[in-house]
Amino acid sequence: MSGLREKILSTASDLFQTQGINSTGVDTIVATAGTTKMTLYKYFSSKELLILEVLKEGHQDFQTWLNNKLNANARHPAEKLQKLFDYIEEWITAPEFNGIGFIKASAEFPKEDNPVHMLSAEQSMQFQEYIKQLAHEANIQDADGLSLQLSLLFKGAAQAEQMKRGSDAIKYAKTAAKILIDGALTR
Amino acid sequence: MEIFDSPWLINMLAKASKTPQGRLLALFDILHDWLKAPSFEQASVTLGAPSLPLVNYCLEQARLLGAENPELLAEHIVLIAQNAARHAIVQPESNSLIHARKVAQALIQAQTQRTGLAANLKRSHAVHYGVAASLLMLIGAAAIWPPMLMHSRNAHAQLAQADQRDNITVVNAAGNQNKALTAIDASRMYAKYEQMRQGTCQFPEALQIPDKHKSIYLENVVGGKLPTDLDDLSVANFYLEKVRCNFTPMLMAASK
Repeated sequence: MSGLREKILSTASDLFQTQGINSTGVDTIVATAGTTKMTLYKYFSSKELLILEVLKEGHQDFQTWLNNKLNANARHPAEKLQKLFDYIEEWITAPEFNGIGFIKASAEFPKEDNPVHMLSAEQSMQFQEYIKQLAHEANIQDADGLSLQLSLLFKGAAQAEQMKRGSDAIKYAKTAAKILIDGALTR
Repeated sequence: MEIFDSPWLINMLAKASKTPQGRLLALFDILHDWLKAPSFEQASVTLGAPSLPLVNYCLEQARLLGAENPELLAEHIVLIAQNAARHAIVQPESNSLIHARKVAQALIQAQTQRTGLAANLKRSHAVHYGVAASLLMLIGAAAIWPPMLMHSRNAHAQLAQADQRDNITVVNAAGNQNKALTAIDASRMYAKYEQMRQGTCQFPEALQIPDKHKSIYLENVVGGKLPTDLDDLSVANFYLEKVRCNFTPMLMAASK
């Protein structure tokens, strides 16, 4: 039965990414997944819970993928930091890229007290924390500052790319990241 | 006030610096100060969506500083400013706008380091700009108007008539030592501009106009701006007559 849950999750994830979260109804999700509303509500008691689950899973996938790539291809902590945007580029320029989940979700749910907004803000912070950890390991003095800079750079580039595919946003972001990281490393 | 949608912000940017880079980066300083102002109350702040005028203003600066992809640079910088401003509201102690300024600076560098244009433009951007503009205008005059397909007798007759009347005006005015334009001169000139606009016009010989007449030609014939005195008017008229126009409606011409 858990196969059905996964099927609903991945269908909802695809639809949210391509059509938007608000404009995807539960009816469309069950029809596309080839199941019924009753089954959907058995696993996810509301659409909001389904959205939260989709976001959690999407973010987990992204973080795991990125972490694996960095661990496999970079030896020193500084090298990890320097390669970070190479892999972000790989992720963003992949043909199936439809935007970063937490960036899109916070735009669709702008109200601060909305659970979806709160989760996406938390994921955004987690990502910044992840960069901060890499900066720490690389002995960067202002790890807070650099991680905020890189996270702002990444967010803006992902948004620009979401607005227009093939915008080259990540290409320039990569160069800018290198400038910022090199500056922080030599300090 | 929705700061991202306020003319005040653009005014402040324009006043902030003499260089396009300085004006772009001032966006972060102004937002930083604005969010730290004593009168600022968190409850009342609304950032608003970046307005088209703001994005366009940044685009203009990005072009001036020689960015490889000015549209992207302007868009990315405005997005970063907006994200950082939101961050600053939630976490004022993070100084997010100061960090965002560094990001924007790095992006500007990334977009100009291959050409090195930013550095050059700082020194002599007025000259570069002037030369580029006049070249563009000349190329425009010679090439943008496609070759005419057909003459319109009617249009020619009208232009010739207008010319005769204007010659008389020029002679009269010269006799009176009065160089100012009358309302009649102005309306005639406007009628000619209007007529030109309705056709496809060309004047490849524009490239051979003597230097002292070029500015009059560009401003008062190509630019469609009314000359300020009668001497210029007669020069403009002279060239206006040389421009050949095809008034066949585009669709009709294409269907032949």
